[in-house]
Parts: sequence; C-alpha cells; structure tokens
Amino acid sequence: MVLDLNCYGDDINALADLAGDFDLRSPNDTRAFYTRAWESIAGTLGFSQLLTAELARLRGAVDWPRAAGVAGVSAFAAWLRQQRPGVSNNQALVQGAVLRQLIAAGRERGELWRVSVDPTTLDTGACYADDHGLVRAFYPDTAPGYFGDGWTGPPPRAESRCGWQTPLVLHLGTFPWVYSSRLDRTGPGLRWSSPTAAPAVDAFRVVASTLDPHTNLRQDARQVAAIFRHFQAQTAPLVARLPLYRPGVAEVGRLHRRAGLLHVHQGSLHVAGLDGPRGHLPATAHNYILRRFADFFAVRRATVQALAMWTPEMTRLVASSADPCLRVHAEGVAHAS
Amino acid sequence: MSRGLWITLGTTLGIGGAVFLGSRRASAASLSEGTPATELDPLPTANDATGDLVSNWGDTPVDLRPLLDRMQTVSQIEGSARIFAIIAFRESQFVTTAHNGNAELEQDERDASRAAYQNNKDRNPPLKYGEQSAEFGSGGLFGALAPFFLWSGVPEVGKKAPLLQSPPELVFQPRVAAFAACVYMQRLLSNYLIDDHADIKAGWASPSLLKNGRGSEQYKKVRARFFEDAINLGIDLLDTNTIPKKLSAAAWPGVPAVLKALVGELPKEAL
Repeated sequence: MVLDLNCYGDDINALADLAGDFDLRSPNDTRAFYTRAWESIAGTLGFSQLLTAELARLRGAVDWPRAAGVAGVSAFAAWLRQQRPGVSNNQALVQGAVLRQLIAAGRERGELWRVSVDPTTLDTGACYADDHGLVRAFYPDTAPGYFGDGWTGPPPRAESRCGWQTPLVLHLGTFPWVYSSRLDRTGPGLRWSSPTAAPAVDAFRVVASTLDPHTNLRQDARQVAAIFRHFQAQTAPLVARLPLYRPGVAEVGRLHRRAGLLHVHQGSLHVAGLDGPRGHLPATAHNYILRRFADFFAVRRATVQALAMWTPEMTRLVASSADPCLRVHAEGVAHAS
Repeated sequence: MSRGLWITLGTTLGIGGAVFLGSRRASAASLSEGTPATELDPLPTANDATGDLVSNWGDTPVDLRPLLDRMQTVSQIEGSARIFAIIAFRESQFVTTAHNGNAELEQDERDASRAAYQNNKDRNPPLKYGEQSAEFGSGGLFGALAPFFLWSGVPEVGKKAPLLQSPPELVFQPRVAAFAACVYMQRLLSNYLIDDHADIKAGWASPSLLKNGRGSEQYKKVRARFFEDAINLGIDLLDTNTIPKKLSAAAWPGVPAVLKALVGELPKEAL
C-alpha cells in the first residue's frame, strides 16, 4: 500500500519528485539518495570537502541514512569551527539554551519545522547582555515573509526585558534560512556561533533529523506542506519570469529555471537572486529551501512505502501521530493485513 | 589591467527580473549585444578542487572557490587563489558578466580601453575585434580591460596568443577570464617589483603604478582599498597556511598549458 502524498495537497508528489524517488529497502537506492541530499546541502553551505571525508570514513556503515546524517552534522560542525564567529559568547549561550527548549517542545508536538514560543516564558527571556544592556537573542521575524503572512496576535503575556513584542519564530527545517522575512544571502543561522559555543550545530541537527526516517515520521507533515505552499505562492511568480535553461543557447551569467531550481549559466548562484514583494530572495536560498521541502517529502514517501522495515516503535508512532494522513495510511495497512 | 579607478561598492542591479549583487565598479551584469553563445565546460565544482575550499575564504562565493582554486593549481602560483578572490571582489563583486563601460556614465572605462588599444596596437599582434575591444571598456570576473584581455599571452607566445581572434565579450566566460587573470598575475610577479600582496593589486590597476607611479597617491589608494577589500571579504592576508608571504610564478607552466587546463579548446565561434 502506497502513501498518497496528495493527502497533503495535489502539489506534494511533484515536490518530492524534485528530490527523486527512492526505495528505502534498496541499499543502493538509499545510499544514492542520501549521498545526493547531503552533497546538495554541503555544496550550498560550503562544506563539501569535509563531508566527502566524513562519508568516506563511514562508507562501511549499514544504516546509511543514519551514517550520512552523522557525517553531515560532523562535517558542518568542523566547517563552522573554521568560520568567523558571528555572535558574542553571551548571545550564543542564550541562543543555545533557547534552541534546546524550542527543539524539545517542537519534537513533543511533532512540529519541529517551524517552532514558535512566547519568549517571556523562556528561562532566558530570549535576551542576552551586551555592553548596552539586554538585547534580543534572535531576530523578531513576524512580518509577512516567504514562509508565512506574519503575526497579528497579542503581545507576549509578560513584559519582555529586552523588548520582545511578538513571539519568537524560527524555521528550523530550512536552517540556516530560519527567518521568513529575512532571507539573507548567507543564511542568518550560520552566524550562530561564538568562540565558545555553536548553537548553529544544534539547529543544523534539526535539518539532519528531517532526513532521518524515524524523526521524519514524527513531524506533522501538514505544517511542512503549509509552509511550502506559502513559499511556492510567493516565489512562483518571480521564478516564472526567468527563461528556461537550454544548453547551447543559455545566456552567460543569467539566471535561468532548470529542473525546478534556479541556475546561473557560467556564473555564481551565490550572487544572484530575485526581488519580490516579500523582499530579496537569494538564488541559493531558493534552491536550498526548495530542496529541504522536497527531501522531507521524498523521505516521508519512501519511509511509509518501506513497510517491511518498520520497527514496532515506528508503527506505534504512526498510529498515534497527529498527522491524519499518516494515521489513515496506518489504518489502511492494518485493514489490508 | 584596468584603470584603477574604484568606486564605492554595494549597489544592487536588476536584470530582467533577476538581480545580481554588484558594485558601481561592476555596473552591469548583462551581456553586450552580439555575444557569441560560446559553450565551454561548466565551472569546476568542489569535486574538481585539489586545494582547501574551506579555510580563509571569507565570504567568497562557495561555487566560485573551485575555479579560483583551479587557477592556483594550474598556474602553480601558490597562494594566488585567495588573492584572485580579493581582486574579483573589487572588480566584479563576483559577477562573471560584470561590464564596466556599457553604461553612459562609464566613459572613463571606454576611454581607458580606447587608449589601451591605440597605445599598444602597433607593438602587439592585430586583434580581429580590435575596434570593438577599444570601445568595450573592461569586464568579467577580474575586471580585465578588453584589449589587454585579448592580447593575453602575447609577450610569451607572440602571434600564437590564443585570444587574438576572439571578441571582447569572451571576457564574460569565467574560465577564459580566469586564464587571462593567471597570465596577468604571472606577468606581474615575473616582471615587476612586487613587495607585497597589495602591490599585485596596484599592478592590476596599472603596471605603471609599480614603476613611475610607485608611492603616488593613486598607488597608495589602490593598496589601501586592497587591504580594505581583504578585510571586508574576510580573507586574512597574514594566514601563511593559505597565502605565502610572497607569491612566486617561478613554476609557471606556460600560456598553452594554462589555457588547456582552464579553458580547453576554444570553440570555433570564439576564434
């Protein structure tokens, strides 16, 4: 019995196809998919060489999804150590503490892709001390953006010590592009490191976890689909204006559409982008974000299709999932057997 | 190589719905009319790199690092990859089709290429597109002045220089721009007194700054901006693990070898 991704919307199967179909029961298929997915992440963020070394070190692993995830996180952490720290130690420590709380709560709810919280309920208040007093540890991302229409609700229940007047919202599924209304050329989350702390690695683990079959099943895919659909609605008109890439006639240096993604012929994707009503959209961010959505649903599809591999824990997980599409599927399987 | 006039960075330019981060130095990112649809190999990727693509690159675009690394490997000028990155940061903001000379306010760039052509055409082999190159200004990843770009390699191989029959728009092809940049770097290192890395940039602006112009206001300005660029890009010029204290072209393999390794065969339409 095959999970119908259409349960999440008519467009989701095509989205998953962007990452490629694969069979989790086939070791070759699985190895190829996960290697490709991780190479894509590392290629955009700049740690390809470190990833290659890590994957080579683990090449004998049997559980390739897990091994590739370990290799990816390890390579990212090593890469981050070689970059300039983006925040102070005080900020990084608070960011780390906040992320731990948010990730734990998001995991509990099955909503890790986008996490949000009233910052005044956190131990740190999402505030850190700098030379001028207490400052917000994250960007208040509540204006209409590429992942949503913004926040119009009431202010935090308590008074914030550092000026929070809205919830703290982070899109960890697309880390390092975590803010809906600020898709900088370099993903803002990559700045989350200091000489003594690296909260960026904690956030990056969430990206890795979306590729892990067990953790992927824990996520309510309706949340991911809704955010994807918003992203698609905002970006499709911008992308549609671009010419289709055709070898031999493509203009040098120009941004093109190619196989569902953006492509610059004989140029750098990292300096190209699109401007729309929701702000600047760097080309690298567009491709990376789209690939995260696609990879998520490709893994979801493959995981559900690989029924024979399911552990009892996964079966229980699906049966009790908040995600109605998964529950319906599990009931169908039970009925069929 | 170009005129050595620098203007503040940071404008963003819209081209057909897309935007490229650009500078006023690299004031356009579109092709001039009549650009041949030259098909060269795609840009190298991380899998093609032999050097370190992680350390001391600052904000150099990840997808251009393999090309810069390849330039260093092929030219055998150790440490040049990151110097090329700093040069590209200033000259093009990493936009491969940056063109200084096609806008109304860029008369100075066209004047420079015109002067370069007029002053040098009698002592160099003829260019098939000489007049066009004279009117072109400068462009490409490393801000090459069109006539000098097309004469790349002449001092070494004379009439066998590979770009003599090519149109100036070929400078927008990053592999060819990279070839010309390697040749130019080698010429500077081998024929001029280069005291430090900033002197390379002074020579890039104009070799005269390394001779009569040494110590001039312009010389000092170019050098100061080079150091600023390195800081803004995030490349540590003092990191001797990635950039030796002095660059050397002693192991230069020759123009034909560098062309072959970076560009391969030039397509007929570019000849």
